[in-house]
Amino acid sequence: MADRADFTDQVMEYAPQLYAAALRMTRNPADAEDVLQETLLKAYRGYHTFIPDTNLKAWLYRILTNTFINKYRRQSRRPHEVELGELEDLYLYKRLGEEGTSGATRSAEDEALDRFVDADIKAALESLPENFRIPVLLADVEGFSYKEIAEIMDVPIGTVMSRLHRGRKALQQALWRFAEDREATGP
Amino acid sequence: MNCDETLHHLYVYLDGEATMVRRWRMRRHLRRCPPCEDGLVFEGRLKVRVREGCREEVPRELVERLRTFLEGHAEDRM
Repeated sequence: MADRADFTDQVMEYAPQLYAAALRMTRNPADAEDVLQETLLKAYRGYHTFIPDTNLKAWLYRILTNTFINKYRRQSRRPHEVELGELEDLYLYKRLGEEGTSGATRSAEDEALDRFVDADIKAALESLPENFRIPVLLADVEGFSYKEIAEIMDVPIGTVMSRLHRGRKALQQALWRFAEDREATGP
Repeated sequence: MNCDETLHHLYVYLDGEATMVRRWRMRRHLRRCPPCEDGLVFEGRLKVRVREGCREEVPRELVERLRTFLEGHAEDRM
C-alpha cells in the first residue's frame, strides 16, 4: 500500500495535466477546478485501492472522467450521446490543399497548420459531443493507448476506436469552421 | 491494401496500435502511393498540433489551493 504523504506528492504532480483535461471537459475554469478538487479528494480517499507500481495516471484520469460525467451529465441540457453526420476522410488536408497553390508541398502544409491558433484548437475540441470529445482528449492530448482509454471510459476497445475515428474527423471540420469564423470577424 | 483500406486504418497506424502484419501492408501501400503518404504525414502533424494547442498555463495559486485542500482532508478517514 502506498504511503499517504508520498501519494499526495505523486498525485499533485499530475494536477496541472488533470486541470487542463478538466478544462476541456467542463469548458470553464470554475467548473474545472471543482471537478479536479473532487477528483483529488476521491483519489486521496481511495488510495488504498490503488495498487502501487500500476498505472497511476490512468487511474487518476478514470476518476476525473467519472467525476465529470456524474457531476455534469445530470445538469446538462445538452445531449451527451450524439451521433455525427457524414464525415470526410482527410478533411483538413483536402481543404488546406485547395487553398494553397497547386501541388501543396509539405512545407506549405506546415504553414497551413500554422493558420490555426491555440484558441481554435481548444474551441474545436470543446465543441465535440462528450462521447467523442473525451476519447479524442485522452488519445491526442493525454497520449493514452486504446486499452487505457477503454478502461478509463469503461467501454469496449472497438467503441474507443470508432469514436476516435469519427471524433477526429469531426474535430477537423470544427477546426476549419472556427478558423474561418475568426478570420471573417477579424482580431 | 488499397487507398480506402489505408485511410480506414490510418489512425490505428498513427496511434501505433496496428498489428505487425497491418503495419507492413500499410507501409507497402504508402511507399507506392504518395497521396496516401502525404495524407498520413499531415494527420500526424495535426495530431501533434492538437496536443500543443491544448497546453495550459496552470496558475501556481491553483496548485497551492488544491494541495492545501487535500492536506486539510488528511485526517478525514484513514
